[in-house]
Amino acid sequence: MSQRIVLTGNQAIARGFWEGGGSVAASYPGSPTVEILETLKEYPEVYSHWALNEKIALEIAIGGSLAGARSLVSMKHVGLNIALDPFMTFTQIKTNGGFVLVVGDDPGLSSSQNEQDTRALARFAKVALLEPSTAQEAKDFVVAALHMSEEYHTPVIIRLTSNLCHSRGVVELGERIESPGQGFVKDQARYNMLPPYANQQQHFMRERLLRLAELGETSPLNRYEPREGSACLVITSALPYCYLMELNAPVSIMKLGLSYPLPLAHIKAISANYRQVLVLEELMPHMESELQAAGLCVYGKEYFPFTGELTSDEIRAGLARAGVPVEAPPLAPNPISTPLRTPILCAGCPHRPVFDVLREAKVDVIGDIGCYSLGILEPFEVLNTVISMGASLGIIQGVAKAHRHAGISRPLVATIGDGTFFHSGLSGFADLAKTTENITVIVLDNHTTAMTGGQDTLTTRSYLKDDSRYGMSIMEVLKSFGIKDIQEIDQFHVVKTKRLLAEALERDGLSVIIATRPCALNFKVKNPHFLVDPKVCIGCRRCVKVNCPPISMLMYEGQQKKQSFIDPAHCVGCSVCSQVCPVKAIKSSATLKGQEVQP
Amino acid sequence: MSVTSIMIAGVGGQGLVLLTRVLAQTALAAGYDVKSGDVVGLAQRGGMVWGSVRYGEKVHSPLIPQGQGDFMIAMEALEGLRFAHTLKPSAKVFLSKYRILPNRVLIEKDEYPANIPLLLGERGLVVVEIDAEQMAVDLGNRRLSNTLLLGALSVELPFSKDHWEDALRENVPPKTLDLNLVAFAAGRNAAAQSHPTT
Repeated sequence: MSQRIVLTGNQAIARGFWEGGGSVAASYPGSPTVEILETLKEYPEVYSHWALNEKIALEIAIGGSLAGARSLVSMKHVGLNIALDPFMTFTQIKTNGGFVLVVGDDPGLSSSQNEQDTRALARFAKVALLEPSTAQEAKDFVVAALHMSEEYHTPVIIRLTSNLCHSRGVVELGERIESPGQGFVKDQARYNMLPPYANQQQHFMRERLLRLAELGETSPLNRYEPREGSACLVITSALPYCYLMELNAPVSIMKLGLSYPLPLAHIKAISANYRQVLVLEELMPHMESELQAAGLCVYGKEYFPFTGELTSDEIRAGLARAGVPVEAPPLAPNPISTPLRTPILCAGCPHRPVFDVLREAKVDVIGDIGCYSLGILEPFEVLNTVISMGASLGIIQGVAKAHRHAGISRPLVATIGDGTFFHSGLSGFADLAKTTENITVIVLDNHTTAMTGGQDTLTTRSYLKDDSRYGMSIMEVLKSFGIKDIQEIDQFHVVKTKRLLAEALERDGLSVIIATRPCALNFKVKNPHFLVDPKVCIGCRRCVKVNCPPISMLMYEGQQKKQSFIDPAHCVGCSVCSQVCPVKAIKSSATLKGQEVQP
Repeated sequence: MSVTSIMIAGVGGQGLVLLTRVLAQTALAAGYDVKSGDVVGLAQRGGMVWGSVRYGEKVHSPLIPQGQGDFMIAMEALEGLRFAHTLKPSAKVFLSKYRILPNRVLIEKDEYPANIPLLLGERGLVVVEIDAEQMAVDLGNRRLSNTLLLGALSVELPFSKDHWEDALRENVPPKTLDLNLVAFAAGRNAAAQSHPTT
């Protein structure tokens, strides 16, 4: 009997790659696809590599494929922007070993800086794109993609969305079928993408796309589900298909698993049987535009949202607007008004004292991507711009030059973490090294990729003092760029950190401050907790402004006004609040105990 | 073709993903089709997290349409209130008494709602309040509160003891299994002896 288990979409992708004989996989951690490579690491037959960025990850998978190995690269949607350079040229090559690019889109931006739709890039790169609807399909589609890739000599994109990545479904497991590569075989015309070889590949790609479209006409990846008596056909894919099925609406369905290129002939033929054809898709009107360009009369975004994750409630409302006789929804109560719960830095987080010092300094701060992006939120609001990975280092140069042009003279600060430093900060730093503007960069070296769950960075070793890991010193790297003004600081020494920053802001040219405290989540701080002495506390809220989860204002018994309180169960004893308290009302429980024994 | 839908609400770091995983595996072992969803974006940074588990003969969507949830585990009281609208009017809520103040309450821009069980009761929801955090601390580890609440919910679900225990065994760290089983049983007891407020 076959084995059926519950897997997330991400785990199912990994399982599919293993069953499909995959052997080379690479990724850079980014939500929602982190779990794919983490799961692949559990399969000894697969080489799984956390690369320093998505471009390198994609290049590793290209290498695997060139040498005949079935290869996979996974990343979040914005990661593909970084990896697009090699991808756009690699696609011209007749793919050798099966090549699958798994991309996690994030409709609704639950953990991303934009909402771009990867399906547009399948058209751009002239490759096949698959969209699974369930965990079972996620697994099956990887196997199908590997075969398609080898048969049609094409890279294949599998497009997931956050909800599919994280949701679980029942998956039937299969066995692994080995597919050892034959190694790299020299072929100048095939693997060198310069003229004249690259010219002829334009014709190859065009031909390939036509053959893929033909495949889609009959492929079981696409499924027509007619419903008797229905006057409406809904063309859909991915999770919106599941939400539509949930509604049990009186419509026929064309479910597309291979959603680029579209099976136009099949869709044209069946559309003739319906009074109305709707397109149901998340984000861009990708299929809708293609169908309209092919001369079909279809409607989509007129009825369904263009942004965010779709829900069955929204789909029901859209169908009703389009005149489809759907059942009225059961009476749903209105949400109760509740205070928002925005993210907050963890107790003991090393970013907290840096944010506090930046707020006090009242400078313009060019931010970057990582946990420290939370510095944009209240009550700190110290990061004043966040765009993309590593962007702070270029942006700060542009701001400085624009200021000079406008006759404005004030220091600028950028923040960048160690993960982002190695991901895409190195060239930015090299470019910035010789600036004469008053620029200070704070490198928040917490020794891990914290936001995505704590994958290693190149500075993890220096903290763990584990020689079996490969590592690098950010200080040494920057010195080799010719940067002289570099200082390291343990930012839990708040006053010293404040002074270092103040001095750096006085100096022209590039100053670098490397803040070395590790992530509190990955490398737990567990010191005796701190507590507030209500006899001393003046209720000024200075400690509340450092915004730590255990610190709140409380009315103590017998007091006239609220004073601060530290929840001992969640304080990790980092001491930052006690250092900013103007009246020394916050003390370590260890010190107090000491005082008790020594009156 | 009926589907049972369970909503789970909490705060990042409370062990919500473990709950959806154990529930989903238990439902599969008991012979049902099952889907679950977790929204875990910035979960570790103290943001809100929620999950859904749906089982039945055939389940299409991992998400619960508004007003269609049959049960809810609220690992934090305010989060129970926030997701009340996902439930059917007579649904049962296993509500932890535990409060984690959200950022806007810490910085005094919002107030933590008082009387959450009452507000839920006004909606017709059946509320079983459980002091899960304190009970877990008494058992020796505050991290057991999720298993405890799962035990409370288990009273309502048609799964056998063996199925629950197998799923727990597969998902909790081996050396914590015994404690988790104790917490699960304590949750069951608490629910069986509770006097729900409506």
